[in-house]
Amino acid sequence: MWKSYTLALSLALSAPSLMAAPLAPEITTSQIQPAFAALAQRADSLAHRTTTHCLSDPAQMTQAYHDAFDAWIAASHWRFGPTETNTRGFSLAFWPDNRGKTPNAVRALLAKATPETLKPANFADQSVAAKGFYALDFLLFDVDLQGKVPSQNRCDLAQAITHDIARIAAILNTEWQHEFASLMTAPSARYATAAEATQELFKALTTGLQLNDDLRLGRPLGTFDRPRPKRAEAYRSERSLRHLMVSLENLHLLALALAVEAPEVRSTLDRQFYRVISRAARLDDPTLAGVSDPQKRLRIEAVKQGIQDLRSTVATQLGPHLGVSAGFNSLDGD
Amino acid sequence: MISTALRASTAAALCLAASSAFAVEKADVLNTYADIAAAKYDDSLLTAKILQAAVDALIATPSAETLQAARDAWFAARVPYQQSEVFRFGNAIVDDWEGKVNAWPLDEGLIDYVDASYGGATDENAFAALNVVANPTFTLSGKTIDTSDITPALLEGDLHEADGVEANVATGYHAVEFLLWGQDLNGTEHGAGNRSWTDYATGADCTNGNCERRGDYLKAATDLLVSDLEWMAAQWTAKGDARSTLLSDEDAGISAILTGMGSLSYGETAGERMRLGVMLNDPEEEHSCFADNTHNDHYYDGLGVQNVYLGQYVRVDGTLISGPSVSDLVSAENAALDLEVRGKLSTTMRALGQIKTAAESGFSYDQMLAAGNAKGEALIMSGVNGLIDQTRSFERAIVALDLNNVAIEGSDSLDNPNAVFQ
Repeated sequence: MWKSYTLALSLALSAPSLMAAPLAPEITTSQIQPAFAALAQRADSLAHRTTTHCLSDPAQMTQAYHDAFDAWIAASHWRFGPTETNTRGFSLAFWPDNRGKTPNAVRALLAKATPETLKPANFADQSVAAKGFYALDFLLFDVDLQGKVPSQNRCDLAQAITHDIARIAAILNTEWQHEFASLMTAPSARYATAAEATQELFKALTTGLQLNDDLRLGRPLGTFDRPRPKRAEAYRSERSLRHLMVSLENLHLLALALAVEAPEVRSTLDRQFYRVISRAARLDDPTLAGVSDPQKRLRIEAVKQGIQDLRSTVATQLGPHLGVSAGFNSLDGD
Repeated sequence: MISTALRASTAAALCLAASSAFAVEKADVLNTYADIAAAKYDDSLLTAKILQAAVDALIATPSAETLQAARDAWFAARVPYQQSEVFRFGNAIVDDWEGKVNAWPLDEGLIDYVDASYGGATDENAFAALNVVANPTFTLSGKTIDTSDITPALLEGDLHEADGVEANVATGYHAVEFLLWGQDLNGTEHGAGNRSWTDYATGADCTNGNCERRGDYLKAATDLLVSDLEWMAAQWTAKGDARSTLLSDEDAGISAILTGMGSLSYGETAGERMRLGVMLNDPEEEHSCFADNTHNDHYYDGLGVQNVYLGQYVRVDGTLISGPSVSDLVSAENAALDLEVRGKLSTTMRALGQIKTAAESGFSYDQMLAAGNAKGEALIMSGVNGLIDQTRSFERAIVALDLNNVAIEGSDSLDNPNAVFQ
């Protein structure tokens, strides 16, 4: 466990954190581990349902798809450690796909995949554009694809994808229950001090909010003159708004846990999250197609503004309270 | 390995001794950084002018030799420019400008003819296959654009990022690269683009049509590159805007240096440019996919990060620019941390060097990207891991220098959304 002397030894740590208990152990057990356990369990059900029901009763498979995708979104802001090892995170979720790689990769596999290609060991080496939840979104829900591809082909590929998802989800769960959890709770080369572990969690919050702001909403909003509804996330299975909601609800929990020692910051964050989630819930626009409608667009922009307010509070109040900054993340760059 | 560690520890010991004798001034560190920036952009300009002369010669006397000379000049021009990319993130003036000269990836069908396998317009880009070289006019958002004269103004005003799509790259190094090499149709096999010099030939020798317009495009793009680099080099001179902005706030300036190092290492090079290609097994994701120069792009990006940290840059004519550095500042606060950063920078450079040497000896970067090519994946991923790992130590340096709460322009993650820190 983190001990106070590791804090005292740490570099230039600001005063508030010196007095606070380390946050990472609590957040690991109460939020991170349950999220990956749920993902592993639902991914496993999805793989089973796809095998048993893809041809006979696709609705059952579709329900399992929605459940498993929810579980991924609820875990997706923990984008460090196990999910950043090798290509796991991207193999589950290759998005945004701003060069249209997923439709091309899925079409190519439908046209020429052999039983050999689809074997789990071989499928694991496929391009991430053909794997994971976003490939399923295209494979199972693209309107143009329906009717053009024999069900058997579609189900064979769906099986390969869902088994690959289940395989990766199981690895993530195992690592979070064991090795990586211990890195979050005691000094190591990875996190030399409790402050570094706290910074990682803080980054999960800032990056998660940024992703909702810039990508989930920013991409489809485009500009007023040139909205881009086809850039909405997983719009084919009508999950765009749902992802925003699930993500914000989970970031809300993380923010409250990080602000546990700062009642005023905590209540500001609580109020702002509550407001933005209620606004989002009232949009009643599953695919965010409203970006093209001036009236509805205003309401989507209001949600985006709410997220920006949150980002401001997090950066200017929560960060200084914790004595950490946002550091670098994978969204840096172009 | 041993010699690297020894050198690093000796250097750290020297820095430690030095810092106790005379403290490193932040202003001096900022001046070294600005001097290196000035030298890199000046070198970029110098080598771009050599490229410009070679392009003029190609157009005046098209031949296999003049085409090859232009390609060689392009390769040389990339060496200093890639080392300057470390100035992008953290210096808003550079980041706002950079898209004009180094935008990537591009839908090259906007510019010139492409292979049938390229496809046409896409959901994302209606102009992916516009082919300006072949079309003296086109319609953009209901407006007719006259392209009968291909000029720098047309390229930067109407074509670049046409329709708000970033993949419509009409200017810069990669547009010139496409015009000199053409598409690389070898997939993940060895081999670069293989455009024939006859694409620039006159009269009956002209291949693929519109040779004169193709030459006009190449000339316009190269001239624009030179004038854009001229502008940026001027920003770093003694009275330039980039330099005075940097020097106006010492803490923000030091923070900008580290922001540039971290954002280029992690989000941009390790993520967008290297890991994505491996994960997609897609040679189009190569940074210089036409010329097959990607191994050098990554190598010189990494070198730029290292030489900014150490405060040392060797110019294209061999002159050494050096002075007080971030390394000295970190060392004064925490000698072990400085050693850690230097060690990680060296590890990264060794990994990027292995990619470069493998590519130069015949195992090209596109081959490394092939699905199931474990050796290629291991080479690229060791570069990725080095870049990500060094970024963690930059975060420690930010803490050690007490720059946590310093806001900077130009970085999404270090920048706070509404800029209220003070």
